Amino acid sequence: MMVNNQYTKFKTKNRITQIFIWTFLIIALIVFSIPFLIMIASSFEEFSYVLPYPPKLFPTSLDFAAYRYVLEQHNFMTALKNSVINTSITVVVAVFISSLSAYGFSRIEFPGRELLFGVYLFTLMMPGFLNIIPQFVVLRNITFIPGLSRGLVGSRLGLILIYTATSICGHTFFLRNFFKNVPLALSESVVVDGGGHFSIFFRIILPLSKPAIGTMSIFALQGFWEEYFTAKVLVGANEAMITLPLLLQRLNGEHATRWEWVFAASLLALIPIIILFIVFQKKLVIGGLTQGAVKE
Amino acid sequence: MKMTLTMKKRIKKGMKGWLSALPFIMPGLILVAVFIIYPMLFTIKISFSDYRIVTGEITNVGLLNFKNVLFETKDFWYAYRNNFLYALVTVPLIIFGGLIFSYLVNNLKKGQSIFKVGFYLPVITSWVIVSLVFKYMFGNSNTGLMNYLLVDVFHILDEYVPWLYREWTGNGAIWLMGVWKNMGWAMLIFLAALQSIPIELYESASIDGAGLWDKFRFITIAAVKPTIYFVMVNMIIGSFNVFIQVMLLTSGNPNGTTSVLQYLLYNRAFNKFEFGEASAIGLISAVTIVLLTIILNKAFLLDRNGNGE
Repeated sequence: MMVNNQYTKFKTKNRITQIFIWTFLIIALIVFSIPFLIMIASSFEEFSYVLPYPPKLFPTSLDFAAYRYVLEQHNFMTALKNSVINTSITVVVAVFISSLSAYGFSRIEFPGRELLFGVYLFTLMMPGFLNIIPQFVVLRNITFIPGLSRGLVGSRLGLILIYTATSICGHTFFLRNFFKNVPLALSESVVVDGGGHFSIFFRIILPLSKPAIGTMSIFALQGFWEEYFTAKVLVGANEAMITLPLLLQRLNGEHATRWEWVFAASLLALIPIIILFIVFQKKLVIGGLTQGAVKE
Repeated sequence: MKMTLTMKKRIKKGMKGWLSALPFIMPGLILVAVFIIYPMLFTIKISFSDYRIVTGEITNVGLLNFKNVLFETKDFWYAYRNNFLYALVTVPLIIFGGLIFSYLVNNLKKGQSIFKVGFYLPVITSWVIVSLVFKYMFGNSNTGLMNYLLVDVFHILDEYVPWLYREWTGNGAIWLMGVWKNMGWAMLIFLAALQSIPIELYESASIDGAGLWDKFRFITIAAVKPTIYFVMVNMIIGSFNVFIQVMLLTSGNPNGTTSVLQYLLYNRAFNKFEFGEASAIGLISAVTIVLLTIILNKAFLLDRNGNGE
């Protein structure tokens, strides 16, 4: 499952080739980084009513005024808080429910299993947008919770429910492939000890699938962190529930020429994700992403 | 008599299976049923209806929504065309670029992770953020990077171009952003595939005097073919989910010529409150994606059989 980087990699011996590849890649990377350079350089500029000319790729001064402005806006803190809470709750709940489902679909025989799983796969093909109108209606009709007159529209619970629901099919598909590969013999020892499916799930499958579950959680986290459309439709009208992507778009809409604010806020929203990927990059099991999809 | 016994046994076994599976699949199944499957059926229903979201009134109008979407204006056809063009332009570039970069990075002795992280950065940056940066870069005066470079620095163009306000330059910006944003993903997937190729293949090719390009063509490409297919299918289907970049860069202007299906759907539903027509658009894109997936699967399987793999 895990790709062994150290020994299977082909290495060019020729030194000149190495230098050539390095030069080429460095140039490519610089060109690739232009949008980021612009973002960073501009976040230290002052735009006011005239945009700076020429556009800058490197900062000329380190003026943190834009960052201070963004951080002092009370809705930035609200958005940050909401994004952190929504993302962390959703990742934990969605990954846990999907792990349970994946266990059910990979380790327990029941009639109609393949058919039901086929339905899950089918929903993956559908564009996510297709469902937003009825999802909105369903949430609005969940009115039995006291204190929510508009149902779950505009509430955190509603957003988290939709996020969780929309990620279950994909996550189940991904994890099922990993769970299938855990040797059956391992679970037999648990059965011998008198344990049932839950013991197998918690004592064997979950610990052994840590790399896969971890990888999936990180990608899920990034996805929920940047999610824009569902948040806009479901909580966009509720100022208290605004998330970071909504705030960024609003900053741009309200202050069309103040790019330094937009970019400062963008970078603040981006930094946690970059740190997360840099910290975990060695542990991600990318090979597993294509598993199953390629095999079939 | 024996038949019914085995039937009973089978039913009993099935019940037992369901009973042990339910605790595991139940939470997911409820959420999927309520928030995914029911909404899908509901979408199909309202695509044939006039739906008033405030009163909840639903009246059947037959194929009227589809007729309106397809024939009343050209909007749908521009959007449909643009989704296909997006796939046609960006997917080959993403695959080609991803292959080249992953191959070169894989051949590095040192510093692989710099490039892995560097090229992957656009992938983890949100669509909203990259759209905002591209909007700034494609600004219509000399304060936008593109105009500054092409007119003021290199003198390739004579006058400043309002990139995001014209049909083809607007689409071009959307495509460029798509390639830039997704290439790192393809690279990372290809890299994982490359690292599982046995080193002996390359060694024996070297002994036979094969150069870098020959090895790339005959060993690398052949070995990562299934992965190329995986990336291709993913990216083509992804091409039908293009939305944020269109909304933030061009809003479909001028006259819907840079629009895409999802943006059209969004616009019909949440700006014009034509939920029936929006659902019809959603349904048409869903059918298109399913058909494309089936066709791509068939094409790939044929290709695989043809190669005798």
